[in-house]
Amino acid sequence: MSSVVIVLPAYNEATVIASVIESIQLQGFTNIVVVDDGSTDGTGAIATPTGVHVVTHKLNRGKGAATKTGIEVAQRLQADIIVTLDADGQHLASDIPAVIQPLLSGACDVVLGTRQWHSHDIPRYKVIHNFLGNAATWLIHHQWVADSQSGFRAYSRHAAKLMDTQADFYDYDSEVIREIRVKGLRWEQVPIRVRYTTYATTKPARQNVVSGLKTAAKMLWRNIS
Amino acid sequence: MLQPYQFIVAALSLVMIGFGVERYLRGGKGQTPLKLAVRLIVWGGMFAITIFPQLTYDLATLLGIEGNVNAVMMIAFLLVFLLIFKMLSVIERIEHQVTLLTRAEALEKFEQHDQRRKE
Repeated sequence: MSSVVIVLPAYNEATVIASVIESIQLQGFTNIVVVDDGSTDGTGAIATPTGVHVVTHKLNRGKGAATKTGIEVAQRLQADIIVTLDADGQHLASDIPAVIQPLLSGACDVVLGTRQWHSHDIPRYKVIHNFLGNAATWLIHHQWVADSQSGFRAYSRHAAKLMDTQADFYDYDSEVIREIRVKGLRWEQVPIRVRYTTYATTKPARQNVVSGLKTAAKMLWRNIS
Repeated sequence: MLQPYQFIVAALSLVMIGFGVERYLRGGKGQTPLKLAVRLIVWGGMFAITIFPQLTYDLATLLGIEGNVNAVMMIAFLLVFLLIFKMLSVIERIEHQVTLLTRAEALEKFEQHDQRRKE
């Protein structure tokens, strides 16, 4: 039986973190790592009584840094499969079995959860933002994927060990794509559902077109500096 | 005949060069040959242009730019751009180091907590 560890990088998600954890536990996944990325609203304190592993960054260092810390902890917990999800509740825990299936069958090393852009539930700006992210990833890292900015991904132990990323913020997602190509990892894209609640689309730390452009500029900067 | 501003700028340039050379020879922290060279070029250039304004015309001719002021401005912009580039690189490096420290501290605490839980 493969050991699956779920990683939730969280920054100021006190409103939803308990319900996100509960939804994952209801799917039978009890090994959960919450990385409290310097939250100021008590996210870590709310997550602790739910029985998950809570790791705390004293300072907010970004989604990429928090995800890397979570993956590191998952490796120390001897995870065979590591799943990363956004902690704002936009991803559905019921999609986890489908996302990890290709890893369980040994078909690939990395699974990229891919949002379905034709869905009417996805705001238009998200579609544009993702297209720009895909284009920037393809230009800089030379790999086209359908959803380069998705935080819903799954890695085999082998893949997690090989990943060598430098990015600390949202550019981390694109660096993973580069690592897949450079390290010659086998990958698959699995459709996932998303729900953009009022909470997820209005929180201050969300990704938007401006932050997307900043992320693209950072990716470019890292390549030329 | 030198104007008062030429004396002031030339003196300032020489002081800055003096500080740089002294720090480099003392082996001060972060003093590299490249840093010394940049300092000599920037302040040495300022000194040379102040004392010998004719040099700006020679520079303009050399660069193929019409007008000595344009040539000086272009080089100044280039230097500022290089400085910004250097500063951004330093900021990026420091940011990354802060992240490494934060992550290492978080992992260490997790490890200690996990150890206590197992005991």
